[in-house]
Amino acid sequence: MFDRFLIKEDSLENVDKDGVIIGFKFQIRIADYRGCFLSLHNGYYINVDGVEYPRVQQRFEINGKPPRDFDEIAKATFEHWDYDDFGTVHVLTHGGLSKGRHRVGVMQSIFMQYGWMPHDEEWVKNPPDPGQVVGGKQQDVYFFDMEIK
Amino acid sequence: MAIKRGVSFYSYQQAQFFKEMDYKDMCRELRENLGCGGVEIINEATVPNFPFPSKEFLADWWNTMARYDLTPVALDGFLDPLRFRDHVMNKKEAGEYVKLELQLAHDMGFKHIRSMTGLPTEVIERALDTAIKLDVGIAWEIHSPIPIKADTSITGLYCDSPGTAVADTVEFIKKTGTKHVGFVPDMGIFMNGPYLDNIEGALRRMKDRAMAANIEAMMKEIPLAKLGEEVEKQHPGALDTLEGWDKRAFQWKTVALPEDLELILPYVFSIHGKVHNMIEVAPGVYDDPVTMNKEVIDVLKRNNWDGYICTEYEGQRSYQDLPKEQLADEVEQVRRHHQMLKRYIEN
Repeated sequence: MFDRFLIKEDSLENVDKDGVIIGFKFQIRIADYRGCFLSLHNGYYINVDGVEYPRVQQRFEINGKPPRDFDEIAKATFEHWDYDDFGTVHVLTHGGLSKGRHRVGVMQSIFMQYGWMPHDEEWVKNPPDPGQVVGGKQQDVYFFDMEIK
Repeated sequence: MAIKRGVSFYSYQQAQFFKEMDYKDMCRELRENLGCGGVEIINEATVPNFPFPSKEFLADWWNTMARYDLTPVALDGFLDPLRFRDHVMNKKEAGEYVKLELQLAHDMGFKHIRSMTGLPTEVIERALDTAIKLDVGIAWEIHSPIPIKADTSITGLYCDSPGTAVADTVEFIKKTGTKHVGFVPDMGIFMNGPYLDNIEGALRRMKDRAMAANIEAMMKEIPLAKLGEEVEKQHPGALDTLEGWDKRAFQWKTVALPEDLELILPYVFSIHGKVHNMIEVAPGVYDDPVTMNKEVIDVLKRNNWDGYICTEYEGQRSYQDLPKEQLADEVEQVRRHHQMLKRYIEN
């Protein structure tokens, strides 16, 4: 759902910490018709210009708190990501992205589901990596043409 | 005793996503354009700071209900069993969560919560005291492929025994004598053809353009209900090669007959008027030919059923691969659905 509208237009930018570019970030919505408890959020498949950025390099910023890794997000069982809110995905990569246009592929992984499913125990033990066609309401990676100014 | 019209704000999910309508705009649309009073919401879409909204929000909510003379009918709740991540949500935890939803429903004036399909009786019984105390019903959604009459061949989704879930809950209601447990049947169980928006989406994305063109030609000759069979004859196995949801676009199944409703009618708290596409069948006259709307409404009238049918428009999703200006017009689709509902209810 909403694949082509998930990332906020013109929100791609490099992240500067104390004068050093430590990565890049963009703003994103929930690919669903409702918000969710934050712990259900399992990260992203991210591919920029052919380079994949796995979940260990990702941080998620929401609800006015500093960016958190997805092990921390998994513990946020009582914190809600409201449907109307943009969250910010941070990707830690030294030097960030070069200025100019980039092809940003994104697929969101959220374990929202409608009741119990046969895969439940397995997904608790071995959560599928983002990008596998499971969980959430995206069927495929969607590519955005975006610019670092 | 009457059948009344309402809208699930699920219908306006896309307008909410794009921040074109907030819940107050939806309320105004119900009163000023649809002339109806029933409101159903998705808890995690309408309520900011869910599950504990501010007093300001609640005051504003009550004010808005009063301003547009609306009746909160159903608050739609969910169970996300993977929420705790270190274990699958158990039935005790699920019961506690249902209690939380009952409290929120009560605070917002809803008469019942619409829970997930096949909500186990072990969960219901844990929340029943709270339901009674707050006088808010627990009604779970009978959603395709769950039938009204038991079908034990259905397994592997929602709960331990989806095929007999309705019968299990009816037995629970009879055993306890409770008036606070029931159902919200979704009209998608009364299908008699596939949804056009899903087919249009599948055709748009079909890599074999010659096959897509052939199917489009077939659609002019063959009724939608027969289309899947005919495509299978002319292109054996081809539909199985489609990706994701498109694979199922041509499939459909009638999982319940309108008269099956009579088996559970005393426990039907409200109904989801599921709709994907309103079709112009005569100039300015709209109908949804793939759902047995008239037959269901006839059963409701015959039995003097009293309650709300809340439109649940779901066709928007199929078009979201298109540019924004080509997306579905949810407001218009709901208006057309209400034109149809009004016609069948009043005639």
